[in-house]
Amino acid sequence: MQKHEAEEQFEKHLREHELLIYKVCRLYAYSEADRQDLFQEIVIQLWKAFLKFNGQSKFSTWLYRVAINTAITGLRKKKNFIVSYEPATLPQHVDDNTSTEEEEEQLKVLHKAIEQLNQVEKAIVMLYMEDKAYEEMEDILGISQGNLRVKMNRIKEKLRQITKNN
Amino acid sequence: MELDELKNQWKQTDKTQKPKNQNIMELIQNKSNGPIAELKRSFKNQIIGMTVLPIAYIAANLEHIDKTFVSAIFWFFIMFCVSVIIFARLNYAIVEKMEGMDGKVKLNLEQQIVILETRIRQKLIGIHTAFLLFIGLLEVLPYFQNFQMLNKWHSLSPFIRFGAYSALFLYQYFVTRMGSRRGSEQHLANLKELVKQMQ
Repeated sequence: MQKHEAEEQFEKHLREHELLIYKVCRLYAYSEADRQDLFQEIVIQLWKAFLKFNGQSKFSTWLYRVAINTAITGLRKKKNFIVSYEPATLPQHVDDNTSTEEEEEQLKVLHKAIEQLNQVEKAIVMLYMEDKAYEEMEDILGISQGNLRVKMNRIKEKLRQITKNN
Repeated sequence: MELDELKNQWKQTDKTQKPKNQNIMELIQNKSNGPIAELKRSFKNQIIGMTVLPIAYIAANLEHIDKTFVSAIFWFFIMFCVSVIIFARLNYAIVEKMEGMDGKVKLNLEQQIVILETRIRQKLIGIHTAFLLFIGLLEVLPYFQNFQMLNKWHSLSPFIRFGAYSALFLYQYFVTRMGSRRGSEQHLANLKELVKQMQ
């Protein structure tokens, strides 16, 4: 594949899936600047890996792998990357006229709860929210389906407790 | 709140969390800021530095080039530079193996841990070996060539000399360990913690 052709294909694929990357960024970085940094880093890593992408797995599966790997290992630990929940460090929402105040509030609760999970739990819960089958989750994370189901039950319980306490 | 209820809310983020329209082609031209890219840059700089230094040394001593080329110190210095270049190149190759981010997350983490542990071990061995060689050089050099400074040093009692070497070795050992703990070993601990979270 020629470089120019590869660039065009890469851009096309990425445009279709960039929301997935943004969701990863939103989970692992809280400020707009950090999210932009992480977004850029993920895109760079995706581009580096794209030329070797042979289509053995779905593009979205491959993209999740690169994005999660980069988010949890690819950037040096910074104090301002989310490690635990603090009210002041909540992600800010992008203005949108279509969402109601109630929806906004529910989204805040959702993210508050998820931010108290550890790095791996965040990845699992994100994939669960995206309606990924356990088989695909295993393909992305490398954790067995049985273990994922156990973890998912624990995460559900943990989130229940978190939302009850808040 | 049940997670499946949250799931519906999550879908709403599709509508509310629109990313800024970024120029993808511009983004991929930027340099990576990840730890692997930083390590690669540092090894590249070491290679460049150790190539430039002997050239600069020769350039600075052009007038006495005949003396420079028969100086034992000069050839030891060249040997040191070549060793650092070889070591940096080997490290560069090791770190390049860590670059792949498209593997399964757990497998990728385990692979990075093995590579990083090897690198840290090799780095520590390399630094300690270089230091021991430097001590050996200080002890052996006066037998090959006459250096006023070293003659003074050798006029001291061997107990004082070897006491000083031991103290210096211990100092560099602890400083190197401390530096390593703050840098690579901290990153390694983070990776191990992530794997633990996956068990």
